[in-house]
Amino acid sequence: MKQTQIHNEQPPRRYGMAIDVDKCTGCGSCMVACFSENNVPFKQDETDKLLSITWMRVYQLTNGKTFPHTEVAYLPRPCQHCAGQHEGHSPCVSVCPATATDYSADTGIVSQIYTRCFGCRYCMGACPYHARYFNWWDPVWPDGMEKYLSPNVSPRMRGVVEKCSFCFHRYQMARDKAYTEGGRKVQEAEYQTACAQACPAGAIVFGDLNDPSHAVNQIVKPDAHNHYKSGNPRAFRLLERLGTNTKVYYLSSREWVRRSGDNYRADEQPGMPGAAAQHG
Amino acid sequence: MSSHDKYQSHGDSHSSAKAPDEGAYIFLFFLIGFALSMVVGWGVFPTLLYSKKHQPFDFNHKQHLQIVDNGCQSCHFFRTDGSFSGSPRLAQCVGCHNEMQGQSESEKAFFEQYVVQGREVPWLVYSRQPDCVFFSHAAHIHGAKLDCVTCHGHMAASENLKSYEQNRITGYSRDLWGRNISGLKHNSWDRMKMDDCAECHARYQVVHDSSVQTGRDACFVCHK
Amino acid sequence: MKLSRRCFLSFSIGGAVGTALSPLPWKLTDDLSIWSQNWPWTPVPPDGESTYVDSTCMLCPGHCGIRVRKIDQRAVKIEGQENTVLNPGGGVCLLGLSGLQLLYSPTRVKGPLRKIKDDKGLPKWESISWSLAIEEVAKQLMDLRAQGRSHTVASLVGQEDGTVPQLLKRLIKAYGSPHFYHMPSVEDTQGAVLSLSQGIDGFVGLDVENADYILSFGSALLDGFGSPLRMMRAINRLKEQKGTLVQIEPRLSNTAAKADLWLAAKPGTEADLALGMAHVLINQRRFNEDFIYNHTEGFELFAVMVRNSYTPEAVAVTTGIDAATITQTALAFAAAKRPLAIFGHGKGQAPGSMREAAAVNALNALVGNINRPGGLHAMPAYDYIDWPAPFLDGIAYAGFNAKRVDGSGTPSVHRFFEAVDAAPEKLQLLMIAEANPSYSLTGCGKIKQAIKKIPFVVSFSSFMDETAMQADLILPNHLYLERWEDIPMRAGAVRQTVGLCRPVVAPQQNTQHLGDTVIQIAKALKGTVAQSFPWDNYYACLKQTMGNQWQDMNAKGAWEKEPAVVSPEPGFKTESGKLVMMNEPLKKILGAIVPAPEGDEKKFPLQLVAYDSIRLSSGYIGNPPFMNKVLPDTVLKGNEGFVELNPETAGKLGLAEGQSAILTTPHGQVKVRVHLNHGIMPGLLAMARGLGHTAYDGYLSGKGVNTNELIGPVEDPASGLDAAWGIQAILAKA
Repeated sequence: MKQTQIHNEQPPRRYGMAIDVDKCTGCGSCMVACFSENNVPFKQDETDKLLSITWMRVYQLTNGKTFPHTEVAYLPRPCQHCAGQHEGHSPCVSVCPATATDYSADTGIVSQIYTRCFGCRYCMGACPYHARYFNWWDPVWPDGMEKYLSPNVSPRMRGVVEKCSFCFHRYQMARDKAYTEGGRKVQEAEYQTACAQACPAGAIVFGDLNDPSHAVNQIVKPDAHNHYKSGNPRAFRLLERLGTNTKVYYLSSREWVRRSGDNYRADEQPGMPGAAAQHG
Repeated sequence: MSSHDKYQSHGDSHSSAKAPDEGAYIFLFFLIGFALSMVVGWGVFPTLLYSKKHQPFDFNHKQHLQIVDNGCQSCHFFRTDGSFSGSPRLAQCVGCHNEMQGQSESEKAFFEQYVVQGREVPWLVYSRQPDCVFFSHAAHIHGAKLDCVTCHGHMAASENLKSYEQNRITGYSRDLWGRNISGLKHNSWDRMKMDDCAECHARYQVVHDSSVQTGRDACFVCHK
Repeated sequence: MKLSRRCFLSFSIGGAVGTALSPLPWKLTDDLSIWSQNWPWTPVPPDGESTYVDSTCMLCPGHCGIRVRKIDQRAVKIEGQENTVLNPGGGVCLLGLSGLQLLYSPTRVKGPLRKIKDDKGLPKWESISWSLAIEEVAKQLMDLRAQGRSHTVASLVGQEDGTVPQLLKRLIKAYGSPHFYHMPSVEDTQGAVLSLSQGIDGFVGLDVENADYILSFGSALLDGFGSPLRMMRAINRLKEQKGTLVQIEPRLSNTAAKADLWLAAKPGTEADLALGMAHVLINQRRFNEDFIYNHTEGFELFAVMVRNSYTPEAVAVTTGIDAATITQTALAFAAAKRPLAIFGHGKGQAPGSMREAAAVNALNALVGNINRPGGLHAMPAYDYIDWPAPFLDGIAYAGFNAKRVDGSGTPSVHRFFEAVDAAPEKLQLLMIAEANPSYSLTGCGKIKQAIKKIPFVVSFSSFMDETAMQADLILPNHLYLERWEDIPMRAGAVRQTVGLCRPVVAPQQNTQHLGDTVIQIAKALKGTVAQSFPWDNYYACLKQTMGNQWQDMNAKGAWEKEPAVVSPEPGFKTESGKLVMMNEPLKKILGAIVPAPEGDEKKFPLQLVAYDSIRLSSGYIGNPPFMNKVLPDTVLKGNEGFVELNPETAGKLGLAEGQSAILTTPHGQVKVRVHLNHGIMPGLLAMARGLGHTAYDGYLSGKGVNTNELIGPVEDPASGLDAAWGIQAILAKA
């Protein structure tokens, strides 16, 4: 009965990211690109990181060795847009009592509708990646700064949860253009997240994991029959053993970096094939 | 009504004697209460709920439509990036109105207060959706090939602008809920709430099934 | 009939039924739920037509091409241009991205301001008109000129290149003063060495894109050195092509973290390390013989010095890097096809040691990678500004040729302020543009004190920064997003390129282009000064200056000079036509060891260094709120700044992570918190540069510590410029 949209005739899109930890210099431009793209508010004091809203956050990893054998790496963390073990079984989506957060089978993006959210914060408790943030206060822009707010992203209000949307509004805008140009497909370059676009190191690659012509697919080589596990030996996902089946893949040639993606036992290998089979 | 029974069992003849009359009398009060609340609910409440605002000056859609070549899209067009322009900007209007066109009062107001001073006209948009909504004109006009009337009604035939009514609580235009306070509608353009979007999508079998939560359209299709 | 209780009940029930059958409760519920979701005080950004304007970022010396997204008249987002001359790899850094927070900042100066005294005698700002402001400056200048004291006027700019600083320089000359200064930077030192060794007056180009082995002497290549985006891309390319990056630095910076080899040499010994490596190359005859024998002079002298004093063993003791590592690194450097050694600590905001610069230059010469792909390029100075010389009357001539108060060969800002502090009568008026010396110079406490003694200070700042607060008159410049300006690229550029900054939005405040302000002041001064400024306004001046390039520049956003024809001869402009490895001046420089950092080692047993982070803007531009937001909570927590130290050092001091401590240097004492970091040399303390502002608003002011208040300048014995790399310090539990 229900007619699926034209673009669903092809395999559904699955937007995802590959972040090369070895390339990331930890500059933080992705975070600021995200703030300025998504009307993320700021306060005078942002040093309490539990209260600091950062859809994208760059974490510092260290190998824990003493001087001068210390090594550090930087790990940018957007929302991981978990698909779960069966598509859409994201930790946050499955606990939301308000249908404020949703999983789109069409794009693989986990959405958050602020006006729908009533602030119970179950999703924050459910998210293993601390990717969700609660607005404890109404956002305040210093006098005049509200002028730079983008009309494409709704400013949030006190009492709601927000998170990275993979800059979904850019997809909406790109699709508008595609409709106007005869309903063609949205091209890879037309829909890029603000962080991927800004990254001076080119560490973030964004695109459709299901489209072999997209760079992200070529880098990640996801196995659609095995929970999209990567075929790239440099790749790993965060807390992969939880079975969250995330769409953000990290790449590193350093083993200590790959091991920091989860609490592995000494005899375990990061990204073990059997790991994702455990049901979340 | 146990208290009533108890009362009667004590043999209060005074009240029982007058019971039929009093029943009608009491029912009268029921009717008065009912009638009053209906008057308040249907009459007073809507008047109180909406504040009337006037457009900066009057506008004749019908007259303009006779002059332009490309129908509605002459003024309400798609930009090259696929976004919809909405109400026209001053720059478009001055294409013709660089000098006074006629002597009507509204033309005078427009020319003197806006064209001469270079100010944009602060139109009150009847169909303005709240900030959380991403409505794609491109998807509906280019994708689904809908016409303007389906959602906006016969705006093109209007000779005057009706007054803009703003909901005092929500700040929304009255046209979103619809002119009918009970929310009933006869035409597709009578209401513009989310349920109306969904209803139309269901009727024309364009329901997508991308939402895992609802099995319908995913939220991000029309929200931002 | 009486109204009974039943009547009332019945009435109520009737009312309830009626209400339930009316739309009131349902509509009200819906509206209230909407109200609770959309509070009227939550801003709704107005929608409109989306357009893009291309311009050039002016927030750091990198000058990337930016693309600003606008919705109608509002600028809503800054992005990087993609694949243009100014931004060949796309992307944009976090400071560039934060530009709109500066544009719409409430800390901007709203219009011309004059400092007056209120009823209680306290200073306060008074808003004045532009004509009055220009009149006021002109009056002050004319009075001084009439008294024959034109030489007591000075101007300080952020940097000297381009038409706007040159207009100010012209004004100072035509008016009659020798005092024109720019804020010091590593380019001063690089330029001096370039001039000595190659005879070229210009700037150093670093062909990082083509190098395959980069030996960085503490340059924050991934933290904002030179042109930050370009450096990042180059390092990425280097890694992709399996090249090598060696970072010499006592702290594991972002650059060191990405390096293939991190050499934590003791701070201040980098020159020795370079000379130790030179020793290895010479001793093992691994230098480029063709280049050395055919294109250099003074090699033997240099070799003798290096052989005698810089054996790897001796250098190992000085630097703390073992001799084997020094030898291996030097050999790997020489074995590379296109090795490049880079001088300049951190972002390069301080000139640094001439000896180190000369030593690093010698390393590049030894491998012969000078003016060749992947090497160090001698870039001639920009010469597109070919205005006729200004008219000088008698006063101007005498004043311009008067002795400068700093007395040194090259103008030194630190010495200048020292002289002013010592003899305030020598300076009557100072004009400051695009610089914030009261905050960003080492030993800024003293600078502040000197500025206070100057009778009349004019600031052209767009922001109420520390120096502007001290001014008597502020004539605010447009912000870069509101103005036209030519931007000659330096910062290690290997091709002469002039970027164009163009207005993205109309001026947001009652500001005026600095170029126009200078021209108006000159015209108000009349006589030869006015004659020297024939332009009606700045835009006309810019257009005329760019001449034939103007249209091209306007279309492309930049004008790229045709690269010089590559010739097999390196083209040195010295007397001998060869690169000077060693002569008397260079010998002096290579022997001129920078004095040890200030402070008695017994009283101050630790050493404090300031480090640069790309997340902190530490120059004229104050850190925007977005950048403060991404500071780690181990750099700033609440309003407290952190000092980093090795857990070993912390253990000795009895300090634990996050604990409060008192940090004391010969320049001051502050309360800090400690952050333990294995990636820092034991015995060393490190603090981020760019915090501790006292001006601006609550988003920046009072947060953390300004390292320039703790670390004073150390004069380089060769250049007279600031070569401080740190200071002796003591840290104790609070």
